[in-house]
Amino acid sequence: MNCVRKLLLARELSARPGVLRQLAPGLDLLRLQGSSCAQRFWPVPVRSHSKFTPAVKGDQEKDGESRDGSLVPLEELFDRACKGERNKAAFTRAVELFCQRDVRRRGHIEFIYAALQKMPQFGVERELDVYNKILDVFPKEVFVPRNFIQRMFNHYPRQQECGIHVLEQMENYGIMPDNQTKFLLLQIFGAKSHPVRKYQRLMYWFPKFKHVNPYPVPVPLPQEPIDLARISLQRIAADLSAKVTVYQMPLTDILDSGKEITQPHIVGIQSPDQQELLAHHNPDRPVFVEGPFPLWLKKTCVYYYVLRGELLPPGEKGEMLDSERNFYYPMHLDLDLDRGPWDDEEFDVDEAEEGPIFAMCMAGAGDQATLAKWILGLQQNNPILSQTPVVFHLAPGPRELLAASDSEPGEEEIPQSRRAQQEC
Amino acid sequence: MALSFKLLENVFLSSKCHRQNALHPFCGPLLTNCISKLYSSYRRPGTSPDNTPLWKMNFSFENGVDWIKKNFGLLKKELVDHVKGPEGRGFEEYFLEQTRVVWEFRSQKDLDEWVVSSDAEIGGKSEAYLKLGKNNQTALLFGTLSTEAPRDGETGYSGYCAIRAKLLKGAFDTKKYYDWSNFNSLYLRVRGDGRPWMINIYTDPYYSHQKDDLYTYFMFTRGGPYWQEITIPFSKFFLSSWGRIQDDQYPLWLDKISSVGFTLGDKADGPFQLEIDFIGLLNDRAHTEEFAYEKYERNPKA
Repeated sequence: MNCVRKLLLARELSARPGVLRQLAPGLDLLRLQGSSCAQRFWPVPVRSHSKFTPAVKGDQEKDGESRDGSLVPLEELFDRACKGERNKAAFTRAVELFCQRDVRRRGHIEFIYAALQKMPQFGVERELDVYNKILDVFPKEVFVPRNFIQRMFNHYPRQQECGIHVLEQMENYGIMPDNQTKFLLLQIFGAKSHPVRKYQRLMYWFPKFKHVNPYPVPVPLPQEPIDLARISLQRIAADLSAKVTVYQMPLTDILDSGKEITQPHIVGIQSPDQQELLAHHNPDRPVFVEGPFPLWLKKTCVYYYVLRGELLPPGEKGEMLDSERNFYYPMHLDLDLDRGPWDDEEFDVDEAEEGPIFAMCMAGAGDQATLAKWILGLQQNNPILSQTPVVFHLAPGPRELLAASDSEPGEEEIPQSRRAQQEC
Repeated sequence: MALSFKLLENVFLSSKCHRQNALHPFCGPLLTNCISKLYSSYRRPGTSPDNTPLWKMNFSFENGVDWIKKNFGLLKKELVDHVKGPEGRGFEEYFLEQTRVVWEFRSQKDLDEWVVSSDAEIGGKSEAYLKLGKNNQTALLFGTLSTEAPRDGETGYSGYCAIRAKLLKGAFDTKKYYDWSNFNSLYLRVRGDGRPWMINIYTDPYYSHQKDDLYTYFMFTRGGPYWQEITIPFSKFFLSSWGRIQDDQYPLWLDKISSVGFTLGDKADGPFQLEIDFIGLLNDRAHTEEFAYEKYERNPKA
């Protein structure tokens, strides 16, 4: 009975790490220190309520104690260590400072929570060795249960939760732990503890889902706009034979008069199928330049523009190939050799149809002049564009893919000849 | 007659969640705004409960008559369909079908079958809207995601939006399920903007302890102006509950599916959009995998 009360008290004390409450009358902690209770807990010195004032300066601050008894907020610890620049070295220095000042690592849970919150500020949230260093802050072998009672009752629950939080932040950033993490966790918490179980789950599920994306985004994403445009255009073209052409490189020029000219980059893509469609396009009907449409690559959003024609009503569709045109061999073969005649995988629904797409591009600026340069560049390989009127449907901000084809602000129809005059 | 009707109503309505408004079993169909409470009696903590007394509620006799007509019509249709074959289709169709279109978005009525939800329910700042696309041929789900967590002291992460099909209801609001046992893959024709989505399949379990269990899998959109046809076999769906993937994995049972949903929670702040043309089922004869994950006990007691 006495042991249960001590266990409950120990749990209460560990549950409120930052604030020392007034002790319940009748319980003397110093007496408990020497008791024969199986659970070992921190020998917390008894303090009266008035001396202790928790300093709450913000969300992230929790109090830690140094050896001389003064209260040093953890925020200051990180600021002292970084000395101006916030990087990995400063962060590791802060962690080492904490480890050095107390061999018993008093207040390590608050420190670890504060460190986890500070990681994005220092830019180290994706570094595995920093996480290992944070796990190193835990004292080793103290939290490993030593008999069946300790194993039965969630041994050191706050510390286990803290360990789980560290692993959860790793999971959120998609970092796979390594052997050192495993050995650290085993040393700190023992084989059947919650953090070790979470580690096992990470090691089971992460490899299964690592390569599940059929359109993976390269890591790290290139910062150069031309390379980024090249990768994203190849991704959305959905055609391996599509060719990327750079029509204009980004240029910042200062003229003699002191005026600055900036040239945005223009990168376009067109596949042979699209070229063929454009060649078969009726030059009397206009083609539309629409955009910008958003494309997300992990956390970066890029915008692309599309050159497309309008959907022809069924009566005006191009001539279908007559199957009896040639008796000697079939002009058009549509063999699906993977499937037999008994497999019918057609869906009984009219798919949403849209006009054909002729080319795509990404440009640094979304104004008509830049895109007109793109069209001029496309004319090299698609001479039909010189006779086709081009209508620009440009929106000031990103638009949905299925935009209405009524007149929108920013629409202008410029026949090609007049534009050619403007260019000259 | 009225008494037997009331008894019938009570019998069918008692199978619903008992959390609902206590007045509901007696005058449910007569209340004009009772439908809003049918799917969820969730009340966001902090909002005041809806305690309008009985004498202030709007009763409408026409609604009651409509409700009677609709449900008896549904009952008659169910009985007739039962005679025709499984789910009202003939046996030939049932045995020979390899593809089936379950949801297509051609009118506002099709959109009404889906419920859109987002972060805003827990106090977050994301928005999500669903509307018909161009030419009424697709559904467009668009909005903005914001990962700023609500400052209520207990939420750590935020930033999601979801769309879920409404539960199937038979005559007198009985629970009905989709039976997809003829098929082994889900087929979607979508056009996204490169964001990774998750597909959730809700099966109705026998025990209420498992009512949050969910089978999920990823749907990676390529982005771009071309339509994307995604085929996901049902053997790939893993079991999760409350957003946590479970240790003990079981294959998805296809005979009692209550609804399907899409979720976006990829921790990227900004606008998103997803266009769905239709959702169908496919029986891929070449797919022989039963289950993609191991079924053995993960943490044995020994």
